[in-house]
Amino acid sequence: MGRALQRSAVASAATLLLLGAACQPKTKQYSFRGQVLAKDETANELTVKHGDIPGFMPAMTMPYKVKDPGAVEEVEAGDVIVADLIAANQGKDYWLEGIRIVDQSGRKTAEPAAARHILKVGESVPDIRLINQDGMPFHFSDFKGKAVLVTFIYTRCPMPAFCPRLSSQFSKIHEDLAKTPGDYNRTHLLTISFDPKYDTAPVLRRYGLAYLDNHSEGFSHWDFASTNPADMRKLADAFGLQYFEQDNQISHTMDIVLVAPNGTVARYWSSEWTAAELEEALRREAKPAPADSSPGRHGVKG
Amino acid sequence: MQHGQDLFEVHCDDCHEQANPDLKKQPPRLEGLFRSKTLPSGAPATDNQVRKTIVEGLGTMPAFDRRLSEKDLNDLIQYLHTLK
Repeated sequence: MGRALQRSAVASAATLLLLGAACQPKTKQYSFRGQVLAKDETANELTVKHGDIPGFMPAMTMPYKVKDPGAVEEVEAGDVIVADLIAANQGKDYWLEGIRIVDQSGRKTAEPAAARHILKVGESVPDIRLINQDGMPFHFSDFKGKAVLVTFIYTRCPMPAFCPRLSSQFSKIHEDLAKTPGDYNRTHLLTISFDPKYDTAPVLRRYGLAYLDNHSEGFSHWDFASTNPADMRKLADAFGLQYFEQDNQISHTMDIVLVAPNGTVARYWSSEWTAAELEEALRREAKPAPADSSPGRHGVKG
Repeated sequence: MQHGQDLFEVHCDDCHEQANPDLKKQPPRLEGLFRSKTLPSGAPATDNQVRKTIVEGLGTMPAFDRRLSEKDLNDLIQYLHTLK
């Protein structure tokens, strides 16, 4: 399948050349090798711990979509695999193809998936104490009556398609909502760092200001917060966020949670979303009488 | 020099050298960084200032604090000098 796509990319490039277009080929291919830590057959994804991929990303553990039919079923946690990593759309879309298992000896030693309860839609969010960019403590319950869009980052994240994307898209949503005072007052944005050791209040403030175009009044609608490591784990488990630190870099999943005005989970997103979609869902959730406008169940976990 | 180039490709290239719609602002390209007296931020174009920016971050640029060794930083800055 990898070869087929490669051929197709070459064919596309040749066609473009014939047309005299100055376009770049739409996909890039990288050699990929790593150890599978978990698999999700429903989502057709493998979570893989891998080394540096020069030109694409540093060493990391993260989930990858798989194109090969049946590959996710065959692979088990602990396996070392090699594959072609295909990146398209400037690295925004990427997936694995041509997967081969090269070492199965790690199967028995792989860590089992942690047993944890991921909140289902309608369940109450734990009322954890957080500290914001100004060093002010607050709780989730302080937002009762408002729809809150929550996401998780660490400020040192160097991957443009991960935390910087989350923050830049939240920035767009914040700017859009500011144009509609009613919705602005009924909503809140919350960016939580899972790197509390580094992301102290001053660091979060500086980071937040960059995404607020230095308008500090924006913090009244968008908090950048962290909590102690133990409570962060609780929060992550509740929302299905996975993260762990390795060589001062944190591997993590991308998770966005919409919390309803009554403090319950309204919706989750992980990979496929746009700022417009998040904003629409947030505005809808914040409407005073949403009786028959319950949001869809895209990306629902648990 | 190869080590500096590898670090550049892994850590810098994605944002600085390619238009990236995921970013809030497109960061400056790094060719000729040391040719002018000042960096795009207006700070003096010195090794120490570039090192400070890499380590501490600037604006939406993430800090690479604790992620790059002294040797990494030296090799990376040395490579940046070669980008014309």
